[in-house]
Order: sequence, then C-alpha cells, then structure tokens
Amino acid sequence: MSTAVAVTRFPVPEESRRTSFVGMVMALASWTMLFVALFFAYAVLRLRAPAWPPDGLPPLPKALPFLNTLVLLTSSVVLHFGVRPEAEEKPGALRRALLGALALGSLFLALQLAVWVPLWRSGFRIDTGTYGSIFYSLTVFHAVHVLAGLVALAVLLPGAFSGRLVSGRASTVRLSAMFWHFVDAVWVVMFVAVYLI
Amino acid sequence: MHHWPFPWLTTVDVSRDGWRAEALFWYTTLLCVIAFALVAFALVYSSWKYRARPGGKALYTHGTDRKSFAVTGILAAIVFVTIDMNLVRVSQVDVKEYTYNWPTSPDTVRIEVMPQQWAWNIRYAGPDGVFNTPDDVVTLNEMRVPVGRPVMLNLKAKDVIHSFYIPNFRLKQDANPGYVTRTWFQALQPGNFEIACSQMCGWAHYKMKGDLIVQSEADFERWMKEGVGDAKRRFDPADREQLWGWEWVQ
Amino acid sequence: MGVGVGAVEMGDATTSKPAPIRHLHVGPEFHAEQHIHPEPTSFLRKYVFSMDHKVIAKQFLWYGLFFLAVGGAMAMMLRWQIAYPGTPFPVLGQLIWPQSGGVMPPQSYAAFFTMHGTLMIFFAITPILIGAFGNFLIPLMIGARDMAFPTLNLMSFWTNVVAGLCMIVSFFVPMGAAAGGWQSYPTLSTLVGSPGHGQTLWILGIFFTGSASIMGAVNYITTVVRLRAPGMGYFQMPLSVWGIWLTAILNALFVPVLAAGVLLLFLDRVFGSHFFLAGAAITKGGGDPVLYQHLFWIFGHPEVYILILPAWGIVSDLLSFFSRKPAFGYKATALSMSVITLLSMAVYGHHMFVVGMSPLLSQGFMTLTMLISIPSAVFFLNWLGTMWRGSIRFATPMLFSLGVVFVFGLGGLTGLHLGAISSDIYLHDSYFVIGHFHLTMAASVLLGAFAAIYFWFPKMFGKMMNDTLGKWHFWLTIIPITIVFCGMLVVGYGGMQRRLYNYEAYEFLKHLHPINVWMTRAALLLGASQFLFVGNFLSSLISGKKATENPWEVGTLEWTIPSPPPHHNYDEIPIVLHGPHEFNNPAVAGKDWLAQDEPIDDEPVALGAVGS
Repeated sequence: MSTAVAVTRFPVPEESRRTSFVGMVMALASWTMLFVALFFAYAVLRLRAPAWPPDGLPPLPKALPFLNTLVLLTSSVVLHFGVRPEAEEKPGALRRALLGALALGSLFLALQLAVWVPLWRSGFRIDTGTYGSIFYSLTVFHAVHVLAGLVALAVLLPGAFSGRLVSGRASTVRLSAMFWHFVDAVWVVMFVAVYLI
Repeated sequence: MHHWPFPWLTTVDVSRDGWRAEALFWYTTLLCVIAFALVAFALVYSSWKYRARPGGKALYTHGTDRKSFAVTGILAAIVFVTIDMNLVRVSQVDVKEYTYNWPTSPDTVRIEVMPQQWAWNIRYAGPDGVFNTPDDVVTLNEMRVPVGRPVMLNLKAKDVIHSFYIPNFRLKQDANPGYVTRTWFQALQPGNFEIACSQMCGWAHYKMKGDLIVQSEADFERWMKEGVGDAKRRFDPADREQLWGWEWVQ
Repeated sequence: MGVGVGAVEMGDATTSKPAPIRHLHVGPEFHAEQHIHPEPTSFLRKYVFSMDHKVIAKQFLWYGLFFLAVGGAMAMMLRWQIAYPGTPFPVLGQLIWPQSGGVMPPQSYAAFFTMHGTLMIFFAITPILIGAFGNFLIPLMIGARDMAFPTLNLMSFWTNVVAGLCMIVSFFVPMGAAAGGWQSYPTLSTLVGSPGHGQTLWILGIFFTGSASIMGAVNYITTVVRLRAPGMGYFQMPLSVWGIWLTAILNALFVPVLAAGVLLLFLDRVFGSHFFLAGAAITKGGGDPVLYQHLFWIFGHPEVYILILPAWGIVSDLLSFFSRKPAFGYKATALSMSVITLLSMAVYGHHMFVVGMSPLLSQGFMTLTMLISIPSAVFFLNWLGTMWRGSIRFATPMLFSLGVVFVFGLGGLTGLHLGAISSDIYLHDSYFVIGHFHLTMAASVLLGAFAAIYFWFPKMFGKMMNDTLGKWHFWLTIIPITIVFCGMLVVGYGGMQRRLYNYEAYEFLKHLHPINVWMTRAALLLGASQFLFVGNFLSSLISGKKATENPWEVGTLEWTIPSPPPHHNYDEIPIVLHGPHEFNNPAVAGKDWLAQDEPIDDEPVALGAVGS
C-alpha cells in the first residue's frame, strides 16, 4: 500500500504577496465596519430628528464637495495607472502616478478646508446640534484618513525615484494603493450621505 | 393569587400581570433543570463509567456516521422545539396581552415620571388632563395609585439614564434623556411598596428610592383633590425647575 | 492557479482498499517562504520587543495574569462591601482608603465595579485566551514557523500595554477612574455624569486595546488562511485553532463598532459634539443616548462569543485528548461554532428589552436569540459524545475542561430566562444577569484558561506543573465559583439590582443578607485558592519536572517538537496526514495516539509538485 502526496506549489514571492494581500483585505474589512458603524450612527440620529437639516440651519454646500469628489476619484484613477502590472514597461509611470495622486489628495484637503472654514466662521460648529456633530466628525475623521493615505503614498516616493519600485507587484505599493482606493470609496458614500441626501 | 416556589425569596407580587414574568421564569427554570440534570448526569456517569482502566481502550469513532448525526440532530431539534419555541410562544402571548398592550380605558391613571440624579419627579395631569399646567399634582419620590385601575407611565429622564423598577409588580422600564418611554401596570391590593432604580446612574444610584402607595379608589381620589388644590395655590410660573412635563404619549 | 486548500481525503486506514493518492493542494507558503530567521541575541530583541510568537504569547500571558489578579482583588473588595457594608477591608482597605478608615466609599465602589469588568474582559481574559494562547497555538498547531506578520504582532502587544497604562493611570487622576459601569452608557459617561479625566482615559484605553485586538485579529486570520502546513485543510485543524480563528473574525469585524461608539463618546466629551447628549443638558437638537447602546451591543454580543469561542475550542480538543477518543462529530462542532459566530451578529437587541425599543424589534431579537440553542445543543452533545466509551484520564487540564462543560451548561441555560421578553423585564439589570454572564464568560472562560495553562505549560516553558496541586486548585475553584455565581442567580430572582453600593438601603432586599454573606465567603475562598495556582505556576517554572516532547501523548503538531520549541518551531515544515484527534486508531500498533504528520506503519509518503 503506497500513498503519494502531491503538493501544489506557488513561486515564493507570489506567496508573500498573497499573504500581505489577505491581511490587507481583512484590515480593510475591519476598517469598513468602523465606517459602517459611523454611518449607522448618522442614520439613527437623522431618522430620529423631526427635520433635516434641523430648523434654522442652512443646507450644506454641494458644489465644492462635488468638485472634491471628482478630485479624489481622479486621484484613484491616476494612481491605478502607476500600479497596474503594465506600468512595469513604462519607466517612471509609478513615480508620475504617485506624484499625481499626492497632488490631487492635497488639493482635496485644501478644498475641504475651503468648505469647513466658512461654515465654522458662520457659526455652524461641531456643537451645533447633532447636525454639526455629524458633519464635522465624519468629514474630519475621513480627512485624517486621507492624510494617512498621503503619508502612505509619500513614503513610496524614494523607492519609485530610485527605480526599486515600479508597479503594484511590490506589496508596499499595492497595499498603499488599496488603502487609497478604500479612502476614496468611503468619501463617495460620505458625499452622497452627508451632502446629497 | 398565584403561588410560586420559594415565596420567601422574593417580594409579594401585587400586580395583575406580574404572574407572567413569574410563570415564564419558573417554566424556563423547570425546563433548564431537566436539561441541566441530563447534561450533569451524562457528565458524571461517563466520567465514572469510562474512566481509564488498565487495559481499557476507547472506542475508535469520529461520530460522523449517519446514526450519530441523526441522534444529534434530533436531540438538538427537540431542545429547540420543546424549550426555545415554547418560551417564545409564551412570551409572545405575554407581550401581546400585556407588555405592549397599552391601556386605553378612560379610567386609566396617567402619570409622567422624570427621574434625575437621584430622585423621582412624578406628575399627574390634574382635572384638565393636560401635563405641565398649573393644576398638575407634582410629587417627589412618592407615587400614589388606586387599586384595580390601570396605571400608565410616561418616562423621560432629566440627566442620565435611570430605570423605573417596582419589584412587587415584576416590572422595569428604562427612562432615557431625550425621549419618552412607556410602561403600565395594575395593582391588585393596597399597600406601601418601594420604587427602585435599576440602571446605574451615578455613585448614589443605590439610594435612589421612591415609594409606591397603592390606595383604595376613595383614598386616592381624596388625595388627588387635595393635591390639586395645593398645586394651584403653590404654582409659580417663575420657578422654572417646576415647569416640566410633555405631551402625553399613548 | 488555485489558492484554496482542498480538504485532504483521509482514507479510512482500516479498510483494505488500495489507498488513494492524496492530493494536497497547498496554497499556503510552506517551504522556502518561511525562512528560518536566526534567533535574536540582544536581551531587548529577545524578551522585550520580540517578534517571536511564542515570546509574545508569554508576554500576553504574564500581562493577562497580572490584570486577572488586579481585577480579582477588586472583586474581593466589592464582595466584601456587599456582605459587610461599612467595615474596613482587611489590610488593603487601610492602604487604599485611609481617609475613611479602610471602608470603601460609594464612589470607589462604582469605579471598582466599572474597572473590574473592564479589566477582566479586555485586559485579563482577552490577553490570556486570545493574546497568549492565540499567539502560542496558531502557528504551532498549523505547522507554521511564526505568525504571518510578526511585526504587527509585536505592535499589537505594545499597543495593548499602552491601553493598560491608560487604565492604570486613570485610578490616580483627580475624581478617579471611570465609574459608569463597564458599558459606560451615556449620558452618565459624558460630562453630564462623569466630569473627571478617568472616563476619558477609559475611552482611550478601550480605543488602544481595541486597535491591538484588531491588529491581532488580522494577523490570526491571515495566518490561518495562508500558513497552514501542507495537508492541513480547515477540517484538519485542531478545534482550538477553529475557536481562536472564529474569535479573530468576530474581533476584526465588531471591535471597530465599539471603536466607533467610544470615538463618538470621546468627541462628545472633548470636542463638545452632541451625539449622545440629551435631556436637561441640551436645549435643542439633542442626540440619542440609546444610540450608544446600539453600537455597544452590536459589538457587545459578539464580544461574549469572542471571549468564549477560544475556550470552547480548547475544551473540545482537551475532552478528546483525555478521553483518548477522536472528537465526536468534529465537523459538526466546528460548523456549530461557525453558525454561532454568524448568529452572534444578529441577536444584540436582547440586551435592550427594557430600553424602550420598538416591540417588533424586540420580538424579532427574541426569536433570533433562541436560535442559538440549536448549535449550542449540537456541540454540547458532541462533547458528551466524545466522552462516551472513552478511556478518560483525569489529569488537571481534563478536570478544568469538565468544569467548563458544567458551568457553561448552567450559564448557557440561564440565558433562556433573559432571552424571553416577559421574564427579562423582571430580571434585567438584576443579579440574575450578573450570575448568568459570569457563569458563561467569567467562570467558563476562566476555567478554560486554566485548562489551557495546565495543558500547554510544558510546551511553553519546558516544565511540568504539579498535578496534585492542580487538582486541589480545581476543586477549590469549581466549588466556590459555582456557589458565588449561582448565588447571584438566586438573589437576582429575589429582586436585587446590580451595582448597588448598599442593597440594604432597600427594605425589599434585606432578607437576602444571609445569601449575600455566603456568596462573599465563597468568593473569598475562591480568591484565596488562586494562590495555589500562583504557587504552582511559579514553583513549576523554577523547579518543575522537565517536560518531555509529548507528555500528554497526543497527536497535534506542537507535540511533535521539543518542549519548549526552538525559535523557528519546525526544522522541516510538517506534512499533515491525519486529523488532530486520531486516538486508538486500530491501524496503529503500540500506542493509542497518532501524530498528525506521522505515516501509519510503513506507508510511504511521497512529496511531489503537481502543475498549477
């Protein structure tokens, strides 16, 4: 009686990439639950409020946030072109994509400030009822994530300039890009939930 | 009057519907005792019967044959149907007939309760039937209700969450800041009972005590009449602390 | 190219049919990728900032045991105050409350029951069962050299330490530690009811320990998915790994919900937002304090299973190991635990029957809650089935495992009283609840943790613990623990609310005095008997009998390598051929167990690559 054990093997670097990918997916699933909980809180407060926006409070601006949504979506597209496998054939593609995403991400934060500052000056603050609490808490909390995403992309720059990193086949690049897309996706939901409806 | 095991252990039930909690409690307990006795017996019996002995050998089975599967499945189904579904059934009846079956009869006594750290503010609407008006009877830590009439409460906390608990009625209801919760009960016999707070509400939580005085119909009406007179005399629109109350939530 | 790990067909060894070729489709990296890293030599890298999962496991163990002692001591003082109000707590009382002559004041009582719950749940049970045994067992039991992300593992532990420091420091700030109950419901936990910094530090501590839990969870899940040794399909994993893995999934998904809740609470306290504020403190447009309860219990109910699942898994394994019999209905047990994991996400509303939730929601949650009985009944029956016709060895770990079955039976069944609306309305927030959840997530988890410590101590430290002392410890634990927590059920039915500094302020509770005194006596005995454990643990560490490779004669992978294992665990990554519980397999001669990677007789095993 003899038993043969057949084993399927993968190439080694591929294994490591897969492992970090699984980890990142789990981490983002966890992060998603954090935002789901925050949106749940928003939904409960909004459903319990007799009117929304509450009496006497102005509706939030829509134009600038909409522009900002486009900015962030563009940044995701730009980043994608530097991260996809084809980027390996084009020297500097990752570098350009990173710089583009960093620029657009920074522009997003600047425009966020342009939304917050006039509202705050006009007397609409975090303690202006649940309306103000939700608006500032959600958008600022998201902006903190954008900032973290910018840092995650910025630390890739030296590698991209030296040519050590050329595409998303490097796990560091792939994971940072995943985080960036995640932050963008959260923003789209937030834009719809907080500003539009 | 119903009789339950170990009456010395708990307070006298003087309510119309407290028996429901008791009945379900003891019914559940009975089923649990049976289930636990079986588990404990199996545990002790197998421990003794199948203890390791020299030369003894365990049976080699993974318990994955169809028979083991069927036995496990059937036993689990029996547990679910006889215990769980039974409890849900009984509880659904209670809920429908009592818990969420708010009294609508005209003789219902309506009381607004606003607990605060660490006292019970209690308000009766007075003759006009509207709360927060000069004829309201307002008391502190003392609730009076007549025997035999349904009593419905609207609760809303002033500062932190409290919970209105009357052990003799087997009843508990949280009072939250910000919105009104409801509960109701009906007393079967007169007497003096305690109101307790059952939600942690600060360091003096344990002292947040009130009195529930169940009186005869006539005594209650007399007290109410005196109270209304007093209330009108004492009403002071400048005393903002005394101006509380909300539109009744049926 | 397949990522999936196909279950290995384990041919029945007793049949005479020609054995099939075993195709082990191995997705996980297992050879070249898992390099053998040289063991670090500096003290700091080796013992303090180690990335070795075994060292981190021991760090978590010490850390958890420390907080278990702190939380336990607090419980003794709380029980003392309940039974003997106004009398100074012996010795320690004079040190902590010199201004009141050693008597615990009501403010301290509130802070102590709050911190007792917080420390026990997040800083004792979680570190011991999930931090220590999760870390120690996952790589060893699945045949890996370490966790998937060793650096993340290190960060997880030290983030937890920061959290623990927040909690400890909070005792010494003006107005003391958090005192609004371990759930910290607003508005009591906002500035309305808790102006001091203690509550803010509590929030930070929870946030940090939550982050640490999530880091650990991501690591555990990935490790199980990716690093299983060749042949180790999901249904070849020991049930301990199953329990810890399911716990990690719940942690990853639901701790963020708690994080969101305490984040909003933090904003309310520090930045003046109005999420949970309502009532007199707010004139217009107030928030909703009950929203916090929803967020808390969406996390809180899974948390109960987060705490108990590792213990269930460990007990399922140990019952099989010491009955010398394969785990009865292994797959059904694993699947039942998975079903409970899923159900735990959909029943949280049963914690809120008296909050004033909509009747429809309440009834829906009641019915869903009752469904949990089905999988629970299945694995209870499987536990009993495992013992049936076994050959049971009553070593200390087995005694503790049986103890878990006993107290969890009591705890699980009393959950029925609380799951039905009309009995819960009377029992809610009473000592009945306290008794119920202490039986489920304190007593059974604690006994499970002791079972695990007695069982894996030889593998962790290379020494045996004293079995006689262990047995004394068991009996002097199980008896008082049952008395204390069943006593709580009794006084709870008697009407006693939880969190009362002096229940004799109420006339209707005075008659419960003798029961409360006996509970306190039992609690003090329980506390005292833990010194048997401390003594045994420390003396075994120093001068215990040297442990062999496989002192318990069991077949899971960690027992095929030396005790304690070398830095890289496995010289060769093992190839798994059998399930974890192959006891008394008739094809094996001369011994009654079979290691998971041990070929039967002269059965040759060929390892070859197949195209992907």
